[in-house]
Amino acid sequence: MSDSENFSKSDTMFSGDLEGESTRIKIVGVGGAGTNAVDRLQLDSTAGVRLAAINTDAQALNSSPIQEKLMIGRAITRGLSAGGESDLGRKAAEGDSDAIAGLFQGVDLVFILAGLGGGTGSGAAPIVARQASDAGALVIAFVTLPFTIEGAQRHQQAQDALGDLRKTCDAVIPLPNDLLMEMLNDDATVLDAFAQADIWIDRGVRSICTMLSQTGLINLDFATLSKAFCNQGGKTLFGLGHAEGEGYVKKALEDLKSCPLLNLPEYTRKADRLLVNIVGGTDLSIRQVNEIMSAVTEQFGSRENTILGAVIDESRQNSVDICVLGTTDVNGARYARKPLRKKPEHELPPLALESADEDADEPVLKTASANQMVRTVHRSKLKKQKDDRDTDFQEEFLFVSDEEQRGYFEKTERNVFEGVDLDVPTFLRRGVRIAV
Amino acid sequence: MSQSKIIGAVEIGTTKVVALIGEIVNGRSLNLIGMAECSSAGVKKGQIVDFRAASNAAHAAILGAEKSAGVQIEAVYLAQTGSHLEGFSHTGAVNVAASDNSISAADIHRVTSDAKGKELPPDRVYIHHIKHRFLVDGKPVEKPLGQQGKKLEVSYWSVHGDESNIRDHIHIINGFGLSVEDMILSSIATACMVTSEDEKRRGALVLDMGAGTTDWAVYRDGVIVGTGVVPVGGDHLTNDLALGLRVNRKYAEKLKIQFGKASVEKDDKGEKVWMVGDQMIGDRYLSRHSLVHVMQLRLEELFQVLKTQLGEFGTAEALPGGIILSGGASQLPGMCELASKELGLPVRLGANPQWVRDDLRAVEYSTALGLMHYALTGQHQEEFSLPRPEKGLMRKVSKLFSL
Repeated sequence: MSDSENFSKSDTMFSGDLEGESTRIKIVGVGGAGTNAVDRLQLDSTAGVRLAAINTDAQALNSSPIQEKLMIGRAITRGLSAGGESDLGRKAAEGDSDAIAGLFQGVDLVFILAGLGGGTGSGAAPIVARQASDAGALVIAFVTLPFTIEGAQRHQQAQDALGDLRKTCDAVIPLPNDLLMEMLNDDATVLDAFAQADIWIDRGVRSICTMLSQTGLINLDFATLSKAFCNQGGKTLFGLGHAEGEGYVKKALEDLKSCPLLNLPEYTRKADRLLVNIVGGTDLSIRQVNEIMSAVTEQFGSRENTILGAVIDESRQNSVDICVLGTTDVNGARYARKPLRKKPEHELPPLALESADEDADEPVLKTASANQMVRTVHRSKLKKQKDDRDTDFQEEFLFVSDEEQRGYFEKTERNVFEGVDLDVPTFLRRGVRIAV
Repeated sequence: MSQSKIIGAVEIGTTKVVALIGEIVNGRSLNLIGMAECSSAGVKKGQIVDFRAASNAAHAAILGAEKSAGVQIEAVYLAQTGSHLEGFSHTGAVNVAASDNSISAADIHRVTSDAKGKELPPDRVYIHHIKHRFLVDGKPVEKPLGQQGKKLEVSYWSVHGDESNIRDHIHIINGFGLSVEDMILSSIATACMVTSEDEKRRGALVLDMGAGTTDWAVYRDGVIVGTGVVPVGGDHLTNDLALGLRVNRKYAEKLKIQFGKASVEKDDKGEKVWMVGDQMIGDRYLSRHSLVHVMQLRLEELFQVLKTQLGEFGTAEALPGGIILSGGASQLPGMCELASKELGLPVRLGANPQWVRDDLRAVEYSTALGLMHYALTGQHQEEFSLPRPEKGLMRKVSKLFSL
């Protein structure tokens, strides 16, 4: 399936009745952990969102309060779980692929939530993703990665599944339990540790839904989102920041920077396309928006490739949420796969704003949202943008502002030697990529 | 008549405060009679960032040492480090006054005060003037008094530091009701302990790789001719690891000590190490290669910075005695090899001399022991020192703060 097909399909659907219809979103939990995550989501109902659960375990599925439930692999597992075997999970999903496809009819955006490492999550999620993608939806997967202590086999299963998901989803946001754990203090319980992932999934899904469902001052709509993810297979950068009270803009930026999802070492910290959505109260000033934008773009990408959204929510006085969503065209060395079919005309969409092929390619998009997108092109900054998209393996560009990367030495005097701050780790200054 | 003086040597380091108590008998022999150490707080990169915390830690150490010795300290010798310290070489010269060209004490006094008299910016104070040697008509002379010659020269390596930083250190000691007898550069104190007489004479570099700073001192002809501080130490390794591997500081420190090495070796590639080691929830594998790689980059850079800072002091010609490593970070496996590779000189690990008590033999006590040693030799000097208005070398600073 080609990306553009996927893209234009959803687009036509969208452009059909732009006024009245909101984006149809479906959140699907796959496997035990995924279903649990969906259960948790259900607590706060987001309008226009439907929930569904897919599992091999009849018992678990029965106890779930979700309305739309799909039991897969009855022939293979007889309603018992996949027992941690991802092969079983995959076979179960393949056997019931028609039923799965039925779930995604007429849906624009699908969130797949799954806990990788187990049988159903690892095995079925990639198949579900493919079905959703084939049905023309934009597919975003939030997947948790198992704790290291859960064993090498689960770990391997999770890594394989992650690789498969990257091939079929438009965006995959992995949440390694190990890293989320770092956010907890020492006396956290096991339950806390596992719940942590659900909290992050909830935040992630909700922030994207809010972005789409609420009409913003600077609106980000579904078309924008699709466009940002026009290139499958790349890695996804996803981060959230939230703060309230005095100095909330600064605090939210701090929070965003310490977001564990942004600090996965396997990610490039510079995205090729960046979507920033800001949700704030009526007191959010344009100066604050600008402050956030400069900080975010400086850290994660260049301004000319950034799409900004701002939503004003009256119930959120004196607080702000920042959601950063970025995609890269990088093929990570760790998951060296076949080179992806790249579409040159999609490689450089933001800069090619005035170019002819954009009009030819995506006429609908242009009318739908081009006038709402903010794309500021600063000529002065263009030279900063390295021409590394041409190379298959982009060199990691750690664009660090020194302030943030001093860690323990943050509050001390700068340690300047020949123009560099020696307190900043050497590997960061030299842009050496450290794999964890 | 036996005269004894109880002195304390205090090093307020980045990771710990060490206090030693020694008894100097008749100004000639030194007995170590008490010691205590206490983990430090409020010190980063060798400089005090939180006065209260640093002060409490130092007071705890001094109190502990006094308890273990059962006596009260009369005066304190204090180690100094930090990036604010700088040094320069300055030469003074006078024409010999007497008609018979014999050098008098007054000549010596004039030339030394000339050499040491270079004015500093208002917020800087001298800590050390280390005499290199006297030259009489261009010829090196040990003791010029009474020698024949027309021109007398002397050069000093003068170390100066930021007044407020030094004042903080002194205030901590004063806060305990003690006076600071003298301040000694950490690198000098360490150097005099870990270097052999032969190495001092031939020319050697001592690197004290501490937690907060890496201090260096260069010996030539038996005396120190240059010193310096690179404000990068073991804490930087820990911080790099914490940021690079995304672990908290506590684990980073543990990983550094347990699995750290100075450079990457072949079989590190596939090796995995546990972050916590208890294999509980939250524990995870880390690649040892990544861990060592982070450290290697930092250390290579540290040696490059050192090389730049050393300049002509660091050449192979200037240092036939090679390099002596000391301090906590020098204990990392492979450090000697890396230092040797980066600086192009033979490197050995320093050790305290045999006469030091076993429990103080570890390199981490070198600085405090060196302070003691300095205190003792300082007493010597007073005996045969020339009639000078100032007694020791460093009274200046003490006076400045009217102790």
